[in-house]
Amino acid sequence: MKTAVCIKQVVTRDWPLRPAESATWVRDDDASFEMNEPDAYALEEALRLKERHGGEVVVCSAGPARISQVIREALARGADRAIHVESDALSAAGADAVAAALAAAMQDESFDLVLTGLQSDDQGFGQTGVVLAERLGLPHATIIMEVDIAADGAGLRVKRELESGWFQWVAMPLPALLTIQSGINQLRYATLRGIMAAKRKEIRTVPLDGVASQGQRILELYVPEKTSATRFIDGSAPEAARELVRLLREEARVL
Amino acid sequence: MTLVIAEQRGGVLNPATWETLAAAQQMNAPVTAAVVGARVQDTAAELAAADVAEVLAVEHEALEPYTPDGFVAALAQVVEATGPERVLFPHTYQTRDHAPALAARLGRVLIPDCIGSKDRDGQRVFVRPMFQGKFVADVLPEGPAPHFASFQIGAYRADACVRGAAAATVREVAVQLDAAAIRQRPEAPFKEAKQAVDLTQAERIVAVGRGIKGQEHLPLAQELAKVLDAELAASRPICDSGWLPMDRQIGSSGQTVAPKLYLAVGISGAIQHLVGMKGARTIVAVNKDADAPIFEVADYGIVGDLFEVVPAIVAALDGD
Amino acid sequence: MERETLDVDVLVVGGGPAGLAAAYRLARLNAEQGGEPLMVAVLEKARAAGAHMLSGAVLDPSALTDLMPDWKSRGAPLDVPVRDDRIYFLTARRALPFPVTPPPLRNHGHYVVSLNRLAKWLAEQVEAAGVDVFTGFAGTELLYEGDRVVGVRTGDRGLDRHGERKGTFEPGVDIRARVTVLADGVRGNLTKTLIRRFGLDAGRSPQSYAIGIKELWDVDPDRLPAGSVIHTMGHPLRHEEFGGGFIYALPEGRLSVGFVAGLDYRDPLFDPHVAFQRFKRHPLVSNLLAGGQMVRYGAKALPEGGWHALPRCHADGALIAGDAAGFLNSMRLKGIHLAMRSGMHAADAAFRAVREGDVSGARLSEYARLVEEGPIRRELYPVRNVHQSFAGGLLAGLLYSGMSLVTGGWWFRDPMPSHAGHERTRTVKRYFGGGVPPEPPGVPIDRALTFDRLTNVHYSGTRHDEDQPSHLLVADTDICRTRCIEEYANPCTRFCPANVYEIVDADAGAGKRLQINASNCVHCKTCDIMDPYQIIDWVPPEGGGGPSYEGM
Repeated sequence: MKTAVCIKQVVTRDWPLRPAESATWVRDDDASFEMNEPDAYALEEALRLKERHGGEVVVCSAGPARISQVIREALARGADRAIHVESDALSAAGADAVAAALAAAMQDESFDLVLTGLQSDDQGFGQTGVVLAERLGLPHATIIMEVDIAADGAGLRVKRELESGWFQWVAMPLPALLTIQSGINQLRYATLRGIMAAKRKEIRTVPLDGVASQGQRILELYVPEKTSATRFIDGSAPEAARELVRLLREEARVL
Repeated sequence: MTLVIAEQRGGVLNPATWETLAAAQQMNAPVTAAVVGARVQDTAAELAAADVAEVLAVEHEALEPYTPDGFVAALAQVVEATGPERVLFPHTYQTRDHAPALAARLGRVLIPDCIGSKDRDGQRVFVRPMFQGKFVADVLPEGPAPHFASFQIGAYRADACVRGAAAATVREVAVQLDAAAIRQRPEAPFKEAKQAVDLTQAERIVAVGRGIKGQEHLPLAQELAKVLDAELAASRPICDSGWLPMDRQIGSSGQTVAPKLYLAVGISGAIQHLVGMKGARTIVAVNKDADAPIFEVADYGIVGDLFEVVPAIVAALDGD
Repeated sequence: MERETLDVDVLVVGGGPAGLAAAYRLARLNAEQGGEPLMVAVLEKARAAGAHMLSGAVLDPSALTDLMPDWKSRGAPLDVPVRDDRIYFLTARRALPFPVTPPPLRNHGHYVVSLNRLAKWLAEQVEAAGVDVFTGFAGTELLYEGDRVVGVRTGDRGLDRHGERKGTFEPGVDIRARVTVLADGVRGNLTKTLIRRFGLDAGRSPQSYAIGIKELWDVDPDRLPAGSVIHTMGHPLRHEEFGGGFIYALPEGRLSVGFVAGLDYRDPLFDPHVAFQRFKRHPLVSNLLAGGQMVRYGAKALPEGGWHALPRCHADGALIAGDAAGFLNSMRLKGIHLAMRSGMHAADAAFRAVREGDVSGARLSEYARLVEEGPIRRELYPVRNVHQSFAGGLLAGLLYSGMSLVTGGWWFRDPMPSHAGHERTRTVKRYFGGGVPPEPPGVPIDRALTFDRLTNVHYSGTRHDEDQPSHLLVADTDICRTRCIEEYANPCTRFCPANVYEIVDADAGAGKRLQINASNCVHCKTCDIMDPYQIIDWVPPEGGGGPSYEGM
């Protein structure tokens, strides 16, 4: 089975970020980057499927030169080769542009299965996978908690997470695309041998002529302002408690 | 015209639909609601109570149960037939599953998970969180209409949806679907207790911090969580001490949450904690120290001894 | 589970300037001298190259130029030549400029750099030269055959807080090497065990240390031109305390603002974090920072002992380089170039030893010869007693420093006697003469100019897997709540800049207990150095954990 895993490099979680001068993106020139966490789960799932069913895992990523960091990490963890769609214009691109760039580079590979993380920690569009499926003409399912490949390799059954504790199994033919929920598995560590082997693995760099229209543009990025001052509730404990409950019911309407 | 895609399952309308209708009504354009499924007459009639121009009932046997292939095919036809300026969805799991593909099929992009929309220099922009709620962005849809956006649940109030003087017209819209072309074969949904707590999905959270002093006092917070139907969470020192498991830790190196209600009990509000919960809609803080940083992000604050205040809140909630 | 092994010719532990210079030199020697290619690997505990690198920093490029004459064309991040040197003596409110900058502090021809960026770039050069750089792996113990060091075992990964294996457990790897170059930084955990096992510090002065705390600030670009270098002495330190402040200007209004405090203070209530906050509140500093924003924070110990405190740096199969050995010129406030130089010497000795098939300590002692005959001794020997002279207070130190420029460092007793810093800390009772200690100078925390420890830690980018055994081993926590609380008032809660150590109420009102917030640790090593009972052992946490000193 030939599996593609799409990964994204994002600014490290909890990095103290500030908006850039342009106010349309964050200042990331000296930020620390890492693999988008949901994508790491997608990669792990692909590696586990390969261990069960054999085949090849190809890691695909679109972005500037710096993303080779996460591509190499994925290769060190066990992916077999990589496709890097390289363009500086992709450094802050939206899901649509990223999906378009990936689709063009992945088109001719005829993958049996494409996995992505559920969403990115930066933009959080949560749709690169779904749009990629649409562009590659693949059936898809999202928020996947379990993957079962049929014995004959013709189809798969996946467990989707629905809201409030509900789940659902969905069957689909292969090839297909799945977006993987974080926590589906436990992430492995890269090993020394994996890191050394990664150096010899192929990274196919695909230049990108231009970024497609993204369909949307960030006009301004800002720190959310707290809209109102803290309302301090005075009085004895029972008085304050009663007033709080009243406010939560009538003003905030959260009860 | 603004087209709102309602969500229903088995004839039950997802209440988040009313919130999206409320958002749509504030955009100075006539609103049309569309509801999609195998039998939607009842939910269409229910929607007709809203102040909307009309309700579209999109029925086809192949639309039950929900599949992304079926919905994308059906909604693409509805959008093309009605030519709206924009198409809005409640940001549910179902929307996340099919709306991006629908927008892509029509050569557009969905602006997801919006918490608001406003007029900015004469342009309609959508406001959405980014970087896990550390920032918000004003996002402008580009290219020709229709534009697609989805609204975070709770961003608007369902009761803000204006009701019409009379019931709106319900119009049936026929769609052509080839059931054989639907590739997903869903099975019946089932409920399952998750092994791990998923605080990110919790609507209400009671979080305890160091002010609770000892593990023996935890039942106090548990009781409050119970009467509020809330999940119990904690700041790092509590989990570090092993008083609560680590999957209940909020903040950097723990979970980032955005519930409707976050009640912080005895939490001073170190920045490591704040980054994990600042995005909560309503924050209540109970703390002895009036200068504690938690009050800088709180909407409501009670300065006092949590050992008195927490039982009093439980009593106030129980009392009615 | 099978333990992985890996065989290399030379293993370098630590991806800082010393380790990377050693690795690069080895790769170059290999390329220039031909023969069977040497396999060289670098082990680095940070998750990315340079992530644990923290320094001021003003770089003397002499060693880099010898290592890599074409550094400029290779894009070395040395963009900001020093344009202006100033030194001030601070009183509580005023800043008195020194009329002339003393020669050791003249920085003409030097560069204001980010050590993080320098190390990151060096690591790229090293990798391009064919060396494996393994980031995210901590060396936790030395492997021996008899008394010969034969490599390093890396830490197990995937242990939970009780030391039990998690589903992801991955045993540590034995990396076997013919020569192991320990460049594991100030108070390196492997170097520490090697020195103890073989008594490599016998007959040397005890190493003395300081803690450096630094923040990066973004301010109005017109405040201070890039390349400006400011050093201060005096306030907030008293005559008896060693240290001072620094402000280095980078382009685009970025300032590197830091404070160094000697870890040999007598006052048990002294608090380096508070001293740094008080330094920032001095008008000289606060005027520069006003309206700006703190964007990054870090802390790290530095070795100050100089020439007399250097241990023997060679053993069978092992060499020690950089801060791990203590190659730092405290009079010039510089160590990067010496670290690199020592790494180059170590590489030369290791290369020839491996080629000749003799990696004994006797053969590797060529390293000591290169240090003795080269620029390191030329620089360190004349200032060998400077740091010690400050034990007599600021004035004595300044007088001696001035004199040593003339006398070549001669003193009546050479080496000038010195003590380990933690032995100088007095008990509360002795320091305050038995009376009630006065309230130590506090500082208002406004979270604009001054910050509490936890907020600072947030800006260090520090992250550890929370579910792992504590990497701060306290041999006997009873001492904390019985003796230390009485004798020294738990100085760990003050000298640790990252709020790792807290004394909290014990359960059920049973007095106090020590709480260790290990995941706050910024790997500065101060606790290992400064604990008065020497019962804290800093061992590496799971590889990849720690700060992320991007741009520092």
